[in-house]
Amino acid sequence: MIPRGAEAIGRLAQRITNDLIPKAPDAYTIADLGLITALLGMIAQDFDRAADLLVSQHEAVCPILREAAARMAGSDLASRIEATLAQAPTSLRISDLSARSDATLRLMIEAHAAVEVAADAGANWAKRLDEAIWRFLEAQTAAEAYQVAPLTTDQTSG
Amino acid sequence: MRRQPYNEIWETIGLDSRETKLRAGLSRFLDSHWRPGAEASELVHVPGGASRETWRFKARTDGEDRGMILRIDPETSLIDTDRRTEYRAMEAAFKSGLPVPEALYLVEDLRWLDRPFSISAEVPGCQTSAEAFPPQHLGKIGQQKWTLLGQIAALDPIALGLGDVMPATSVGTCAMEQLDYWANVIDEDSLHPYPVAQAAIRWLRRHPPPPAQKLALVHGDFRSGNFLYLPDGEIRAILDWEMAHMGDPLEDLAWSLDPLWSWVTPGLAGRLLPHKEAVRHWEAGSGITLDIEAFRWWQVFAALKGLGIWISSSEDFHFGGSQTPILALAGWLMTDRHQQILVDYLSPSSPHRYLRDVK
Repeated sequence: MIPRGAEAIGRLAQRITNDLIPKAPDAYTIADLGLITALLGMIAQDFDRAADLLVSQHEAVCPILREAAARMAGSDLASRIEATLAQAPTSLRISDLSARSDATLRLMIEAHAAVEVAADAGANWAKRLDEAIWRFLEAQTAAEAYQVAPLTTDQTSG
Repeated sequence: MRRQPYNEIWETIGLDSRETKLRAGLSRFLDSHWRPGAEASELVHVPGGASRETWRFKARTDGEDRGMILRIDPETSLIDTDRRTEYRAMEAAFKSGLPVPEALYLVEDLRWLDRPFSISAEVPGCQTSAEAFPPQHLGKIGQQKWTLLGQIAALDPIALGLGDVMPATSVGTCAMEQLDYWANVIDEDSLHPYPVAQAAIRWLRRHPPPPAQKLALVHGDFRSGNFLYLPDGEIRAILDWEMAHMGDPLEDLAWSLDPLWSWVTPGLAGRLLPHKEAVRHWEAGSGITLDIEAFRWWQVFAALKGLGIWISSSEDFHFGGSQTPILALAGWLMTDRHQQILVDYLSPSSPHRYLRDVK
């Protein structure tokens, strides 16, 4: 069986690290190859986890959007939430799952802003929903975090 | 049989290498502007510094040999910046006695290198890497770093003549102007929705800081990795002034203390000092007493600004303006980390593990 996906990408990164970087002619090329290797490591992680992340994210965001739509029943935002959640992704390809994620996250940004206004006005449901949105953002940010070896400040410089 | 080096082959068939073209253009420029008969030699492409293409070289005549640094405008970069602002800020800081490379030429005429560029004096024998900080000199470097940042904050940008190259602002409006700028960058350059960034923008708008204690020269990217130091720990030059502007000095302090710059050593600001010590040195250098409430706003802003830079770099990479891998890496990894930092700062249920006592 030939190596696939994340494993193959990892082997390409190893090849760069072990064989190409030692032969690089100058510091600039070494730095570039080091960055490409780090990127390949991240691409390998995404290859393996992207579908899981996108599906899990959708499952977590749906109840939040449904509650927001129920609390804002009759509003334009509520209608758009209901219409979007009623749609199935075109396929299970990452590009289609990503497009669905973009659509739901855009709605969540709008819903979050509206929830904050209601919370500031003293609505208890809004405070609870605001906390639920932040818990979602915390969990999502943690799930998306890349595992990487420490990088140099040169590699992170702007 | 001797193999012909690639650059000789390119020259033979008329396809000069980048280095060869730069050497020729620079030599013509030096001959015209520095010393008759001068030539550029020993060009080395310097890694890092994604906002400009940077080369180290020797400017050489019969009687003189001087190390110089060439910074060329890129076709795209992490930060869309104004070369004239960068150059003038460096020049002003140098004249004020701060350790800054001497700005030598700002050239906007395209006939020399096909793109605008600047040349500054090389500061030899130094390095920038935070990973290579000599462990025995961390305190010394940290003390200088934040004292120098305080000294930058103490400068009067209007008196330095920077009012004609930097956007006008005021102590009461500078914070929201910076927020508007970076919120706009995020809105324009986002390839995907960023709910954390948008929540941070709303939080910053709902909790405006008090007016700045003074209008200061803000470096804009003052952090470990952006200054040159000697092996004995002496800081010799503050680099990368491309985001310099006038504003609240707390902006620079918050950026310098951002958790991203101490990711692997969370207890040491910029991998150098405990945060409280860093702030104490900054207060001594600036003469400003830190306002904790205002600083809290600038901390959140610093993480948002970082996110804006990384989102913008992703957009550059995605649309193919540059294949520089640092743009992609910044776009993926640094976006990821600054989102973690913002969630930590703002989420009601967060343990706030990135919020450090600064006073």
